[in-house]
Amino acid sequence: MSDSIIECQNLSKHYHIGGEIIKALDNVNIKIKRGDYTSLVGPSGSGKTTLFNMIGGLDRPTEGIVYLDELEVSKLDAYELAWLRCHKLGYIFQTFNLIPVMTALENISLPMIFAGIPRKERRKKAIALLEKVDLGDRLHHRPTELSAGQQQRVALARALANDPSIILADEPTGNLDTQTGLKIIHLLRTLNKERGVTIIAATHDLKIIDVSDCVIWMRDGKIEKVERNFKAADKTEGP
Amino acid sequence: MNTEQIDRKVKLPISEAFFISVRQIRIRFQRSKIMIASIGLGIAFMTHLNITNVIFNAYMADAGTTVEAYQFWLLIISVFVTCVGLINSTLIAVYERYTEIGTMKCLGALDHHILELFIIEAFLLGLYGGIIGFIIGTITATSSLIMQLGFDVLSKIPIIDMFKYLGLTTILSIILSVGSTIFPALRAAKLKPVEALRYHV
Repeated sequence: MSDSIIECQNLSKHYHIGGEIIKALDNVNIKIKRGDYTSLVGPSGSGKTTLFNMIGGLDRPTEGIVYLDELEVSKLDAYELAWLRCHKLGYIFQTFNLIPVMTALENISLPMIFAGIPRKERRKKAIALLEKVDLGDRLHHRPTELSAGQQQRVALARALANDPSIILADEPTGNLDTQTGLKIIHLLRTLNKERGVTIIAATHDLKIIDVSDCVIWMRDGKIEKVERNFKAADKTEGP
Repeated sequence: MNTEQIDRKVKLPISEAFFISVRQIRIRFQRSKIMIASIGLGIAFMTHLNITNVIFNAYMADAGTTVEAYQFWLLIISVFVTCVGLINSTLIAVYERYTEIGTMKCLGALDHHILELFIIEAFLLGLYGGIIGFIIGTITATSSLIMQLGFDVLSKIPIIDMFKYLGLTTILSIILSVGSTIFPALRAAKLKPVEALRYHV
C-alpha cells in the first residue's frame, strides 16, 4: 500500500468565462499522506475549492491525473464514482448542506442507505455517531431546529457514516463563529487521530490550521509551498 | 485499492425512496399544497365538464335524446391549463432543490436515484390532486345540475361509471404530474455534483 492516499499529477482546470480562459488550477502536483490532517490554505479565488472538487471526484480536470487510493479518478465511470463518494469519501461543506426535510438521524442514515446497510444497523450506527459529536439528545431535530455549530456537527457525523478513508472539508468553519469553528476543527482532529481518517480541510482562516500535520499554501491556482509541522503561533507571536 | 474492489453497487431501495418522497411532501407542505391545488383545479374543471355531460345525457336519455359532447375542446383546454400551471410549479420545485441534489450526489446517489425520488413524489402529488380534483368536480357538477334540473338528477348518477371516471381521471392526473416533473428532474439529475452545488436560484 502506497504511503500517499492522494496524488495529483500536473493537474489543471481551466474555465472559459466571457471568451477568456481562467486557470483555476495550473499544473498542480501534490501528494497527501495517509492519515494526515492537511490544511489547504489560500485567499479566495486561489483554487482551493477547485482542487477540492477534483480530489473529491465532483468535477473533472482539464488536464492531469488524480490518484485516490491508487485509483485514477478520471477513469472511473459514473457508478464507480458514486461508489467512491459513498464509501471512500466524506464531504463537509461551508453551508452544511443537510437535507432540510430530514431529521439529524435521517441525514446521517442517508449515506448508509446508499451503501445498502440494513435499517436496524443504520439506526444504531447513526445514534452512535451523533453521540460521538455530542448531539445524542438531538436525534429527531431537523436542521432548521439546530444551531449552525450543531448542523456542522451533524454534517461531520454524516461524513463519517460509511467509515470513509478521506474526509474533504471545504471551509468547514466559514459560517461559524471562532469558538464554534475551533470546536469543529478539534473534533475533526480527534477523529483524525482516533480513526486514522485522512482529512483535507480547505480554509483561509489561519487560526484553525494549527492542528494540521501538513499545510499546503495555494495562490492563483498554483501550490506556493508545502509545510509540515506547521505552527501558526510561531509566526503570529513575536518575541 | 483497484477497480475490481468496487462492487459498483450504490443502492436506494424503493421503500426508502418512497419514505423520503413522502417526507418531502409532508415537510414541504406549502409547496405540496400548491402542486396539489394546481393539479386538482385543472382536474376539477375537467371532471365538472365530464360529469355534467354524463349526468345530463343520462337525464336526457329518458326523453329519448342525447347531447353531443360539445365540451370536447373545453376538456382539452382544461388539460392544457393544468399542464402549464403544473410545469411552472415543478420547475421551481426542482430548482429549489439543486443544493440538495448536489449533496445527495456527494453522498453517493446516482442520477436515476434522484430521478426516482422526484417521480415518486410527482406520482403521489398526481394521485392526491386527481382524487381531490375529481371529488370537487363531481360535487360542483351535481350541485349545479340539481339547481338547474332539481333533485331528480341524483337518481341519474351512474354510480359504477363514476368509479371508472375516478380511475381514468386519476391516471390522467398522475401522467400529467409525472410528465411535467420528468424533464426538469432529468436535467437536475444529470448535473455534475459540483454544478448542482454551485447553483443558486
